[in-house]
Amino acid sequence: MQNAFLIGLSRQVALSREMDVVANNIANIDTTGYKADGSLFEEYLSSSARTDSGGRVSYVRDRGVWHDMNAGQVAHTGNPLDLAIDGEGFFVVQTPRGQRYTRNGSFQINAAGQLVTTEGNPVLAGGSPITFQPNDRQISISPDGTVSVRQGNGTADSVRGTLTLVKFANPQQLQKDGGSTFSAPAGVTPQNTTGAKIVQGALEKSNVRGVVEMSRMIEITRTYMQISSMLQQQSDVSQQSIDKLAAVPN
Amino acid sequence: MRALSTAATGMMAMELNVQVISNNLANMTTTGYKRQRAEFQDLLYDHVSRVGTQTSAQGNMLPVGIDLGSGVKTVGTVRLMTQGNLTQTGNQLDVAIRGDGFFKVQLPDGTYAYTRDGSFNMDAQGRIVTAEGNVVQPAITIPPNSTGLTINAQGQVSVIPQGSTTPTVLGQLSLTRFINQAGLLPMGDNLYQETPASGTPIDGLPGTDGAGDLQQATLEQSNVDSVSEITNLITAQRAYEMNSKVISAADQMMQSVSNLMR
Repeated sequence: MQNAFLIGLSRQVALSREMDVVANNIANIDTTGYKADGSLFEEYLSSSARTDSGGRVSYVRDRGVWHDMNAGQVAHTGNPLDLAIDGEGFFVVQTPRGQRYTRNGSFQINAAGQLVTTEGNPVLAGGSPITFQPNDRQISISPDGTVSVRQGNGTADSVRGTLTLVKFANPQQLQKDGGSTFSAPAGVTPQNTTGAKIVQGALEKSNVRGVVEMSRMIEITRTYMQISSMLQQQSDVSQQSIDKLAAVPN
Repeated sequence: MRALSTAATGMMAMELNVQVISNNLANMTTTGYKRQRAEFQDLLYDHVSRVGTQTSAQGNMLPVGIDLGSGVKTVGTVRLMTQGNLTQTGNQLDVAIRGDGFFKVQLPDGTYAYTRDGSFNMDAQGRIVTAEGNVVQPAITIPPNSTGLTINAQGQVSVIPQGSTTPTVLGQLSLTRFINQAGLLPMGDNLYQETPASGTPIDGLPGTDGAGDLQQATLEQSNVDSVSEITNLITAQRAYEMNSKVISAADQMMQSVSNLMR
């Protein structure tokens, strides 16, 4: 009979982790370039405590978290350094911990004239950052990532570099690294993108859907409470059996 | 339960978002005001099981890991330095900048600050000053009883002195550029200060090196777009509500557990 408690417990542990995932999604509902997470569960079979009963007991366990890699909505901002990716692909960012990949295209120019993320990490174009001159103006970024400017009073475009866009054969292998970035585990190498376009003056919003997350949350809470009441009933059954069986006849 | 603190970070972020939006809306009609945007990023992840971990001696690998996030953080309030609309005022000492430059003004303590607000006045000595009385650099003194004050696109200030019929050029206003305008530190009173992030000021003349032209009798409106601010406000408010629902849901889950003990 203890199995019922343990099965209930396994579900509650898994549910509370799923709740954490949902809470993180909702907290990031307005985070540029954020990708929603979902939980994966699996059945875990185990022989029961009493082998003579023949049956096997199935527990639940959370197997992993998958990333919803669907595009978020693209919101127009009008700021020339806001970039959104239309299609599959990531910007490459050089962080102190190594290269990271992001779809958050809210970029800035730092004091050295480099194109950087809001955290100050340079955005890479063919392995090196893009550097602007002090008198560059009218920054325009073409759909293929070519960054061109007008220098000084000149009327001709000068090219400052082409932003690198990469994609992955299986984006699920990427690991979230905070700061709206992903890191690639060892053995996972980025490939060149095909067909992805850069949209200037727009940002990709978070792809978290409030309605979906709210309904998932209701489902989690209700299931969790049902299991709590199931555990309660189990406890009552144990209590009664102890009271009845161990009652001293008078 | 982690969900409680995760939702709390979400609520704090949205509170800050509302603050930024309300400041933008409050400055909707402030001359030369540049709107701000709160920028968010996800916080660190707890990698409960790492993707790519070997699960057997045969080299099978976990195709997905368990990454539990811990919420959201505000990474900065980005100032959007786009051009505001220009409106005609008819006042001879109103000057708007069409381009990236800033007017340089001297503060009472002798240091310099930068502004896009070109609603100038004259002080008792006839110098061109801002509405707070800070002298616009380089200091240009307008002789008394002169007429026909003109500021051309290159910033040259000329007047017709008393008793004369030909205009005299008194001086030329300068404009200052920064490689990273968004890195300037706002000081209030429509003034900005240079910071290590903005880069050193590059003084120049209007109409050169992208500093922009000047337009007399015109003021630059703030670049706040009320429609997008209101939609952002609605998003922020709803996101705040959803995060508070997460807290109450997590609370209910914990309550149902604590009720097990009687």
